[in-house]
Amino acid sequence: MKKFFINVRYFIVPVLCSITILGILIGGPFVWTGAILFLVGIAIDTLVINYHTKGAGFDESGKPYGIKELQNLVMYLMLPIFIILQAVLAWRIYQYTNGTDLGTISLLGWLPVHTGITGLELFGASVSAGAFAGLGIIYGHELSHTKDIGWPISRIMMGLSGAAHFCYAHVYNHHLELAHENDPATSPRGRNLYKHFWLSHMGQSKFSFELERDKLKKQGKSFFSLNNKWITGYLISLPTIILFVWAGGLVGVVCMFLVWTISNFELEALNYMEHYGLVREEDEPIEHRHSWDNDTAFTSWFFIEIGRQCDHHVRGETHFWELDDVGGPNPGWGYFTGFTLALIPPLWHALLKKKLDQWDKTYANDAEREIANKINKQAGYA
Amino acid sequence: MFSLFQKKDKSFFVKILNADKDIIVRKEEKLLTAALEKGIEWPHYCRVGSCGTCRCKLIKGRVRHLTDFGYVLDRDQINEGYILACQSVLKSDIEVEINFKQKAIGRK
Repeated sequence: MKKFFINVRYFIVPVLCSITILGILIGGPFVWTGAILFLVGIAIDTLVINYHTKGAGFDESGKPYGIKELQNLVMYLMLPIFIILQAVLAWRIYQYTNGTDLGTISLLGWLPVHTGITGLELFGASVSAGAFAGLGIIYGHELSHTKDIGWPISRIMMGLSGAAHFCYAHVYNHHLELAHENDPATSPRGRNLYKHFWLSHMGQSKFSFELERDKLKKQGKSFFSLNNKWITGYLISLPTIILFVWAGGLVGVVCMFLVWTISNFELEALNYMEHYGLVREEDEPIEHRHSWDNDTAFTSWFFIEIGRQCDHHVRGETHFWELDDVGGPNPGWGYFTGFTLALIPPLWHALLKKKLDQWDKTYANDAEREIANKINKQAGYA
Repeated sequence: MFSLFQKKDKSFFVKILNADKDIIVRKEEKLLTAALEKGIEWPHYCRVGSCGTCRCKLIKGRVRHLTDFGYVLDRDQINEGYILACQSVLKSDIEVEINFKQKAIGRK
């Protein structure tokens, strides 16, 4: 029974994403379901701020409680769920641009479905879809590490949000260079989330571009080929673009960019919270202290242990259900709470200045402390 | 003897020629993970196939690549049989050679 509960607690996002899809399908005020669920997530995560977890754990014989086949299956199933999420939004865009009459019909004899959609409701549906498309990133991330069949699934998942370049940048750049200026996904001290969103996104795409350019040059192949994963990454997004353009022309494009902006903002917010302000010398080993752990109960279960960053970056090949609490730096809050704080830069900087001061004193080595002192002066943290 | 063992528990043997060490690797287990679990000081850094620190030369046997080694190893290294231990699962018993003092590719 214990094993059952440990496994099902990681199904929060699949369930909530399905409810969000249902909300858009039903229409009317229910299109806001995804956005409201996100706000509820902030409330719950903040309420359980004092409840921290230790990971899925292991039984007496040392075997992980997490069932590999089940967890992998659910992650794979998230791909069609995210595709359906986009499809139902496109259907609503189609109704809006074609002026479908507002009304209510009964589906299957019991499900009241609002036909037609207002402009405000379409905005709500797009925000809801964006919020949960962004949460798909946690599966795209996990599968990018699983490799094998997980890799193309991860690329398609990220491509649905126009971010297929993430997979290569994350593995070949972030996992080698984190907590250093060579990693665009690591935010230096003093930067706000809104600036990081843009710089990190573009920096990772630039890295992926250069990675492919160098690889193809080494192989004596043309940059303009299907062997170029930077190009094919954007081609993966083409069906999404075609779907939204077909569904609503300019309105469809606006809705798609709203979804992409929200989902990519969530992705970069995670990057922001995972390593904000941490410092490492170039070419020195990545240790637990170079990441922030976020392990409140709700964050751990909702984000399938992605918050166990300290262990993840030292054992990058490890499945999420096998990650441990390693006693690394921890701000004490979960991702939903941290995200809310990061939306208000003065508040974020006031809190993180203290957390980083503690990090400098207790975790940093002498060389890192020296680098941190210089950056603190530039960032106004000194 | 090897094939009998393989059928019994779906494992493969790895012989590290220049260290005179043998390890058993479970099917679908990554070569580096197995080596580290057995206490072998196999050089490694990122463990996700990005740095090349865990590269070794495959002398005999077959492995399945989980990623494109072309991002890390150059054409000559691939032609010589080099593989990344962190991104290789075994398809047969293998023999490898490894430089235990090597660092990441492109690093000092």
